[in-house]
Parts: sequence; C-alpha cells; structure tokens
Amino acid sequence: MRKLCAALVFLAFLPAPQALAHKVIASVYASGDVVEGEIGFSNGDMASDATVEVFDDDGNKLGETVTDETGAFTYKPEKAVPLVFKANLGAGHVAQVRMSAEELPEIGGAEATSPALVAAEAAAGAAEPASSAAAAPGASAGSSGVDLAALLEAQHKMITEAVQKQVIPLRRDIDAYKEKHDMQSILGGIGYIFGIFGVAFYIAARRKMTAA
Amino acid sequence: MHIVDGALANDVVIGGTVLAVGGIALGLKSLTAEKMPAAGVLSATFFVASLIHVPIGPSSVHLIMNGLAGLVLGWAAFPALFVGLLLQAVFFGFGGLTVLGVNTLNIALPAVIVYYLCRRGVASNSLTTAAISGAIGGGLAIALTTAFVAIALALSGDEFIPAAKLVFFAHIPIMIIEALVTGAAVVLARRVKPELFATFNRSTTEEVAL
Repeated sequence: MRKLCAALVFLAFLPAPQALAHKVIASVYASGDVVEGEIGFSNGDMASDATVEVFDDDGNKLGETVTDETGAFTYKPEKAVPLVFKANLGAGHVAQVRMSAEELPEIGGAEATSPALVAAEAAAGAAEPASSAAAAPGASAGSSGVDLAALLEAQHKMITEAVQKQVIPLRRDIDAYKEKHDMQSILGGIGYIFGIFGVAFYIAARRKMTAA
Repeated sequence: MHIVDGALANDVVIGGTVLAVGGIALGLKSLTAEKMPAAGVLSATFFVASLIHVPIGPSSVHLIMNGLAGLVLGWAAFPALFVGLLLQAVFFGFGGLTVLGVNTLNIALPAVIVYYLCRRGVASNSLTTAAISGAIGGGLAIALTTAFVAIALALSGDEFIPAAKLVFFAHIPIMIIEALVTGAAVVLARRVKPELFATFNRSTTEEVAL
C-alpha cells in the first residue's frame, strides 16, 4: 500500500503531455487589422505550438499560423471572406472556429504593425513639417485638408482599438462561461437518465406482468 | 477520451456506429428488469464522473467508471453508457453526435471485455480476490479504452504508435485512480449488497453448474 501511494505521488508529478480528456475551446476576435485567437482545453491548459490552418467557406486554404506557448495566434486576413480556423491537436482533438465576414478586422489601412496612437502621431508629424515647409500662405489651405482627413482616420482607428481592447476580456469571459457546467444541467442530465431507465423499467415490468 | 466531431474518417465513424448499434442491441437483450435500476445508476455515475475534473499535477483528469459498469452489467453496459454519452454530447458538447457510435464502442466494449475477464474474481468467495479483480477490471477498462481510441485515430490517418502512446501515458493516473475506486466499490457492494454480483451472474453460474 505504501508503495502504491508512493507511485501515485510520483505519477501526480509526471508532466502530462497534454490535457487529453478534455474539450477543445477555440475563440477568435478582431484586433486592429489582424485576427487574434486562442486555442486551449476546457481545463485551462493552452495549446502551444499548434498549427492553425485558415480556410474559407469552400474549404480553400488561405494560409496558416502557429500558436505561441500561451495558445494565442494571430492571422492577418487578406480577403473579406468568412474565415474558418482549424487546428488538429492530435489524439482526437480538433479545434474549429468560424469568423463571419462582418466580424473581420478592417483590411488594408496604414502599416500593419502601427497601433492607432503611432498612426495619429505620424499624421500629426506629417502635418507639421508640411505646414512649416509650406510657409507660403497659398499652400496652407491644401495641407490642412489633408491633415483633417488623416486625423479623422487616426481617430477612427483609435476608437476602434479602444473598443476592441475593452471587449476582448469580455469575450474571453463569455467563452469561459459557455464552458461552465452548471449544477442545473448536471442534475437535468441525471434526471433524464433516471427517466429513461424508469420508462424502460416500466415497459419491462409490464411485459413481465402480461407474460405471467 | 471523447473523440470530437470531425476528427475521424467517415468509414471509421460508420463502422463504429454499426458495431455500437450491434452492441446496444445485444445489451438491451440482456438487460433484464432486475438489472435495470443498476444500469440507470451506473449510467448516471458515468455521466457525472466525466464532469468532475480532478486536478493532478499540471493537468487534470476525470474518471470514466466504465470498468465498474462492465463488471456489474456485462453487455448491458452498452445501452447504459450510450445513454450517458448521448446526454453528455447534448448537454455539454462532450464528443459529438456523429461520433457517438465510435465513442460508445470505445468506452463500452472495454467494459464488456472486463466483464468476461473479471466476473469470476469479483464474485469469488474471498473478499481480497474480489477487490483485486475489481481493481484490475477498473484499470484494464481504461487501458483498453485508450487502445481503442488510438485504433480509431490510427484508422483515420494518425500514426498508431505515437497516438497510442500519447493517449495511454496521459491516462495512467486515471487507470490507477479507477483501479482503486473500482476495487473499493466492489468491496463495498460485496459487503452491503452481496447479491449485486451474485444475482446478475446467477445465469452464468447455473450454466457452469449444468
């Protein structure tokens, strides 16, 4: 018995390769002009170094990306079509999540990596030398027009980013909440099982009584 | 343990479904009115056991309890475990509806195999023998289940040996826990309700006597 306990303790500390007996959870959301996603298991383990393939609705492969050690991945869409993200985590675990065209991030825009703040600064920086260089009063009207458009665009980007930043934790919470098994459904399931076997028992008993 | 929708090739899904339907038919035939309450309780046990995740080291595991179901029910484990799996798929999205047949086969067939291997030991007069048989049955059922899962994956294109190894080693803690739990359950059942195994195996002992 002592040996058995020792073996149990030893096994408890063995690193399990992956959480195999669990459901796979995948979620995607737009962030800036890329799609960010997470793949993990229902017990909280994340799927690291998994290859995520991206398909369109017709099953044509558009590209692929790899998750980092926290199970997160990013993908920059090139076409405004619904995207299907698939990852095979092995041992019967397949993650699949679809993103409709409306949910997609804006495609194109400024440099891929520049966040809105940088874009706004760049717009302001571009406007300053333009106005200082154009010391001649004739050119100033044209430069302020460009300035306004760039500012508006930067503002739009900033707002989008701020909203996304606020919404992402909420989305994560909702995704986690969906995986929660509440007591009611567990009790409901047990009720169903007893109900099904009760009906079967009733039928069997009736058969027995008519036979007797 | 629960294979999800879309992980298996179509032929494997269809083959598994056909075999599972066969198993359920056989099970329903052997499911007498006397066995039915036990089948319901074990079905509920299986349903709940898969929901309770026990943290072990960096990961967590959940019990399956198909060994105990097999030891008590024999072929009737097929319909009992099928009902549990069906409700898990509907309520919690464990596994999926299209792979229900394969999952039933993977979990219920080991239960039946364990029944044939260990039923004598469990019904033996010595309580120690019964406990050890129960423990072996509980552990073996999980080992066989991992093997069947690996076979199903191998038939769908995964390499068999790595897939089997991965599934098997991840489930070693569960095998040990299930062995202990099943052994304890057998001892308890023998003490408080000795007729549980005796009654259900009466037909077979009668056959032996004849």
